[in-house]
Amino acid sequence: MNKLTDEELILELRIRMNEKTDALHELKTLNEKLKTVNKKLEESEAMKSHFISNITNEIVNPFASILGLSKNILSVNKENWKKVFSMVAMIHAEAFSLDFQLKNIFAAAKIEAGEIYPEIGKVDIKNLIKSVTDSFRIEAQKKKVSFESVFDFPESEGSNFQYKTDPEKLKLILSNIVYNALKFSFDESKITVKVWSEMKVMFISVHNQGEVISDEYQQLIFDRFKRVDTNITSVNRGHGLGLSIIGSLLDLLGGNISLQSDKETGTTFTIEIPEFIEEEDSFNSSLNGNEIFFDDNQVF
Amino acid sequence: MDEITEPSTHFLYPSTLFASRDPYIVNTILGSCVAVCIYDTVWKYGGINHYMLPFWNGQGLASPKFGNIAINKLLEKMQILGSSHQNLVAKIFGGGNILETGNVQFMIGDRNIAVAKDMLKELKIQIVSQSVGGTLGRKIQFNIATGEVKQRMIEKQQHVKGNPVSITQKADIYNLFEK
Repeated sequence: MNKLTDEELILELRIRMNEKTDALHELKTLNEKLKTVNKKLEESEAMKSHFISNITNEIVNPFASILGLSKNILSVNKENWKKVFSMVAMIHAEAFSLDFQLKNIFAAAKIEAGEIYPEIGKVDIKNLIKSVTDSFRIEAQKKKVSFESVFDFPESEGSNFQYKTDPEKLKLILSNIVYNALKFSFDESKITVKVWSEMKVMFISVHNQGEVISDEYQQLIFDRFKRVDTNITSVNRGHGLGLSIIGSLLDLLGGNISLQSDKETGTTFTIEIPEFIEEEDSFNSSLNGNEIFFDDNQVF
Repeated sequence: MDEITEPSTHFLYPSTLFASRDPYIVNTILGSCVAVCIYDTVWKYGGINHYMLPFWNGQGLASPKFGNIAINKLLEKMQILGSSHQNLVAKIFGGGNILETGNVQFMIGDRNIAVAKDMLKELKIQIVSQSVGGTLGRKIQFNIATGEVKQRMIEKQQHVKGNPVSITQKADIYNLFEK
């Protein structure tokens, strides 16, 4: 090996020094990143245990009420049978919320297991929206909240607007939005569901009059398990799973959700869902027509 | 000789995974997404995932939309089906940088590939073959019974149409780079 001159030696040393500084800098930024990730992990772990205790409340409490109430009904005297009505109403309310929570929990479990697929059909949107708002009618009556539906379809669609999408998932998305709208509505207000379509994309908006969601929280609420007001446990129930489910289901359908909230106009959630394109079909059709061609040399 | 039955086909949607001991042909379309195919060389069956983003950042559901979760969940599923870790090999596909965000730092494809390589290395699962990166999308067909994967490169537009990048997904990408 050639002997290095002093200059070359100094140059080499300088290069190496620079490399070290760069590496140190990189290490520092990576460390910073690690710290934030670690913090997130801690938060997530805390939330998880919180989630379990929340869920226990959501399921155990309604069940206890249902059991207690039905026991009471069994011991009611014939003369007091009128009391039964109010108790049955309470049982219905508890069972309704239990059913709703369970549907969400199962949907979330399916999404997290990666076992959720679009099941596409022609959906009568008018009917679907009616069935969603009808299912909330009894709950709405308690707050004296009324529903209004506005349909604005192109003339050519006629009175029955049929749309190619997944009915069950759309129903769950809408139920969650309506559930939220109802939960945060002022008494004796109105919830308006509006449907329209533009360029093969369907829009559904749900508008309610209620507490304003501040800009800061608008960012937060799509997080898993996050509820805007963490203090209230009895008045506004639910475990904040709804919006995460909405997000994942919309992903599956290629859709989107947006939110607008201010004092004058109230709160509006708007979802947009494009007409479903069967990826499976596009998989089976090649660029020039009918069959898939795999390149012979592209077998792994 | 046994009668040879046509294996059923399964179309794998993004954010989902699939594994089975029965023979299946699994089809999927990849752009910047990555699919990790895991194959059990002893029991001769496999599983596949299809994730869109590298890491779950604690927001939304912990679904197999995210690489770190999708890979762990797939391995978990293989273990439930009876695989031993040391018999597993992997093939990885996708991760093209086709997302047109107009910004080079959102090289989501590269980041997706890196997660697969890093995690599999850490898990000591050998990557026996791969076709990753580039600027094109891919159609792949994974034969679960043989472990063979057929591939065809596809044009950008065709992919984007079949696998729309929603605004929520873009928001996720921005979130990833926030800090």
